[in-house]
Amino acid sequence: MVESTVAIETNGLTKRYSGIEVISAATFSLPKGSKTALIGPNGSGKTTLLGMLSSLITPSAGEATLAGHSLTANSQSLRREIGVLAHRPMIYEELSPFENLQFFARLYEIDEQDSRIEDLLRAVGLWQRRQAPAQILSRGYHQRLALARALLHRPQILLLDEPETGLDPEGIRLLDELVLRAPDITVLAATHLIERASSWSDGVLRLERGRIVEATAKPSKTDAPPKIEAPA
Amino acid sequence: MNPMLTLIRKDLQLTWRDRSNWLSALSFACISLLIYSFAFDLVATDLKPLLPGVLWTTFLFVGVFASSQSFQREWDSDVLDALMLAPISPTAIYLGKVLTNVISLLAIELVLLLLSTMLFDTALLTAELILVVVIGTIGYISLTTLLSTLGTRARARSMLFPVLALPLLIPLLIAGVRASSAAMDEPIGSAPWILLLTVFAIWSTASGLLLFPLAVKR
Repeated sequence: MVESTVAIETNGLTKRYSGIEVISAATFSLPKGSKTALIGPNGSGKTTLLGMLSSLITPSAGEATLAGHSLTANSQSLRREIGVLAHRPMIYEELSPFENLQFFARLYEIDEQDSRIEDLLRAVGLWQRRQAPAQILSRGYHQRLALARALLHRPQILLLDEPETGLDPEGIRLLDELVLRAPDITVLAATHLIERASSWSDGVLRLERGRIVEATAKPSKTDAPPKIEAPA
Repeated sequence: MNPMLTLIRKDLQLTWRDRSNWLSALSFACISLLIYSFAFDLVATDLKPLLPGVLWTTFLFVGVFASSQSFQREWDSDVLDALMLAPISPTAIYLGKVLTNVISLLAIELVLLLLSTMLFDTALLTAELILVVVIGTIGYISLTTLLSTLGTRARARSMLFPVLALPLLIPLLIAGVRASSAAMDEPIGSAPWILLLTVFAIWSTASGLLLFPLAVKR
């Protein structure tokens, strides 16, 4: 059996709130290992689209498949394959960085938890502060911890919502190194930093008023160029 | 480790670290019992018929006070989204929170039963009464934990919570008071109050399990 080369595939994905369409029939596919920038003005639906793809928001219509798992039929197994980094860190502030990762590692039933946590905390520069309550750490460290949490279970797909929020230049370098330039991870990242996005992305999805108005692919660094398909 | 046990362990750890909420509830309950003990004539009056009412109003306010904040931490830092992203069912999140609240509240209730035994000179730490308290606690914590998910804003929640919770808890309170009277050998007629209490506990737990995924769905 030939393994699918598509990481994310949506078909008519739609979200309505009180009859108003926030996302209208989004149809696209992203190849494995691609890095795609999701751009658009405030209120264009970027966060809603990422929320639906991460299974946090239930679509009103349409379907999506991520890493071979159906969004609507198989969301629990799908969650093992995706990592989410939002502009809020989603961590327990009363727990230390180590305890936060330990808690999520247990939820994800990760093997060799302590060594995985140590590797990640060292990678994001929090190993020295691993026992400090997160509430005394800065906003930038919270975001680094959130980055470690998103990578903890070795997801195939990362959905990022303005991931640079709160990060200093060193944090942004770590984000680039660990996520945006990592060859095996498929990334879909909402961002307003369009110039910066051009340095790491293979392609662009542009949303306006809930509609995908542009889907372009840049030359890929790999042999198989990523392909983004917009609705006909 | 089972995901639900992981959630309970984490919640108990956080409850222990930030004890202020539960300690405030315990202080309030102890002061209430002390005031009741001064209000009643302990020498001339037979207090047994009054004690179930005293105990259950105290338990109710302690439980409502503490469990209304069940998901506060998760709302405040958006961790509920991180939990919903984990490969666990929403019912595990709900059950984990209910069990944490039940364990914390039962610990307080045992202290209150002990204190009441001393203040009112009546043996209250009996197996029968403890059974009634456990069933009643499971019943109303299941309901109040579910209701604590309503409203993402603290103001909306603090307004909605008592308005919704207290009327729904009335049947449980009546059954709890009457079943406690029976456990203390007080005449209560032939109604099967412990059975009603159990039915309420099952109903509220089942409702919580069914409705929690809908309450947190977006």
